[in-house]
Amino acid sequence: MLTAVEIQVLSTSFTVAFWAVLLSLPPAIAVAFLLSRRFSGKLALDGLVHLPVILPPVLTGFLLLLLFGRRGPIGAFLEQSFGVYLAFTRQGAILATAVMTFPLLVRAIRIAFEAADARLFAAAAVLRASPMDRFLTIALPLAAPGILAGAVTAFAAGMGEFGAVITFAANIPGQTQTLPLAIYSVMQQPGGEAQALRLAVMSFTLAMAGLVGAELLQRRMLRRLKG
Amino acid sequence: MTLSADLQLELGSFRLAAKFSAPGDGIAVLFGPSGSGKSTLLSVLAGFRRADSGTIRLGGQSLDALPPHRRGLGLVFQDARLFPHLSVRQNIAYAWKRAPEQKRPDIEAVARFFDIAAQLDRPVTNLSGGEKSRVALARAVVAAPDYLLLDEPFAALDGARRRAFIQVLLDMHRNYRLPMMVVTHDIDDAAALATHLVVLKCGQVAAQGAFLEASRVQEFQAMLDSSDIGTAMPAAALRSSHHGRSLWLRADHVLLAAEEPRAVSARNVLAGMVRTIIAESEQSRLVELDTPAGAVLARVTPDAVRELGLAAGNKAWALVKAHAL
Repeated sequence: MLTAVEIQVLSTSFTVAFWAVLLSLPPAIAVAFLLSRRFSGKLALDGLVHLPVILPPVLTGFLLLLLFGRRGPIGAFLEQSFGVYLAFTRQGAILATAVMTFPLLVRAIRIAFEAADARLFAAAAVLRASPMDRFLTIALPLAAPGILAGAVTAFAAGMGEFGAVITFAANIPGQTQTLPLAIYSVMQQPGGEAQALRLAVMSFTLAMAGLVGAELLQRRMLRRLKG
Repeated sequence: MTLSADLQLELGSFRLAAKFSAPGDGIAVLFGPSGSGKSTLLSVLAGFRRADSGTIRLGGQSLDALPPHRRGLGLVFQDARLFPHLSVRQNIAYAWKRAPEQKRPDIEAVARFFDIAAQLDRPVTNLSGGEKSRVALARAVVAAPDYLLLDEPFAALDGARRRAFIQVLLDMHRNYRLPMMVVTHDIDDAAALATHLVVLKCGQVAAQGAFLEASRVQEFQAMLDSSDIGTAMPAAALRSSHHGRSLWLRADHVLLAAEEPRAVSARNVLAGMVRTIIAESEQSRLVELDTPAGAVLARVTPDAVRELGLAAGNKAWALVKAHAL
């Protein structure tokens, strides 16, 4: 059975990954749709979105500290205007996780938008549907399997985010200590290998369940679309 | 509503310069071989492509500045383009919700008209080709456009199914009083549907006008395959099982007699007078005959012309097998 500490770690991981995916989903859909179209500056936006994949996660965390820390431009503004402080908090862990999983989401959703038959948009246009109407009633539902699969994959990846979270939100049990952070902590203690292994198995199982679940969901929805 | 356009567009080496006017009370056929710019013209009319210069007017109103969804033009594509995530009913309702309130037809009645009432609650992904085309038509009608463009909507159908579909188009035009322009490169389809003809050749309008007259113009005949050369004849003037406004009578399918034929198997015998004899080649002559039902072309050999004593001003009879119609 799971110990109280394990349950706490799991719950932190779930909460952080859940909110990270939920909050980054709308901007990810918007950016993915934009990237599935032709426009000037597309390469630059594409590069910016994928930056967290290329940069060392610790550096991403550090950049977040520079921006959202007490003396960072955004952090100072948030604290003065709304009394919100993100660094070293649960919300900060969510922000760091969201930034790291954002490219994964965008990539999956963009592929779904690109796969949707563009000729259907023309068909909707001659039925008097405006561009926003077409996006909401044709593009979005047709991309739904890809969006869902992307969200589940991003969720599974978000549960395991380490570098950016520990740098920006630190490793506070019950607050920001997610699964990988907990593994890291117990490994620092003498004789913690057994506990680390238990956590590792949990992490592995959850990740696999997420990936397989995403694949099954996507297949089922695609079957419905193709009849 | 009259649809008229005078527009110019350059696409690489292709130049579209189309000036035409299609009346609002019939079916105009936009005729031309593949590569003549029919689909390009349609996409400019619908607003998916911008012309370099020129103007498009529908019922006196300029469409130039309007995006596709505000032009009031319907468009039925070659492929039905039904929305795969919606049922048949939802596809039709998609158009209904966006149609002007005072013009919305009843979905059930439209479904009955197009013989798809039994399919309303099925997903569109497992309909037959003919059913998909009819759902696409129903959806276009429910959108209540001011003018409907159809881009070879029967391209995927053949034989009997194609003829049945043409009948559906004619019934639909009569029932919903919808002005339409149908794109085709098939002369039989054109004859069955058209009251008006717009002929497109290499991006230019080569001929236009009422179908029976415009189809006789040399520019139009010159575009046809040699075996398709002929004349249009009102369907009512001939004994035929065919539906449609008129029939295309191919010169190859018409026999000539110098005396009134009796006891022949040909179902249609038309008396007339030879107007001209055109030397097509060394082996063939095109004889143009004026009959009360209209002009008829017959392709015969020079020997036949000599032996029958055919000459301008002489009486002759045209014989047409019912099978040829």
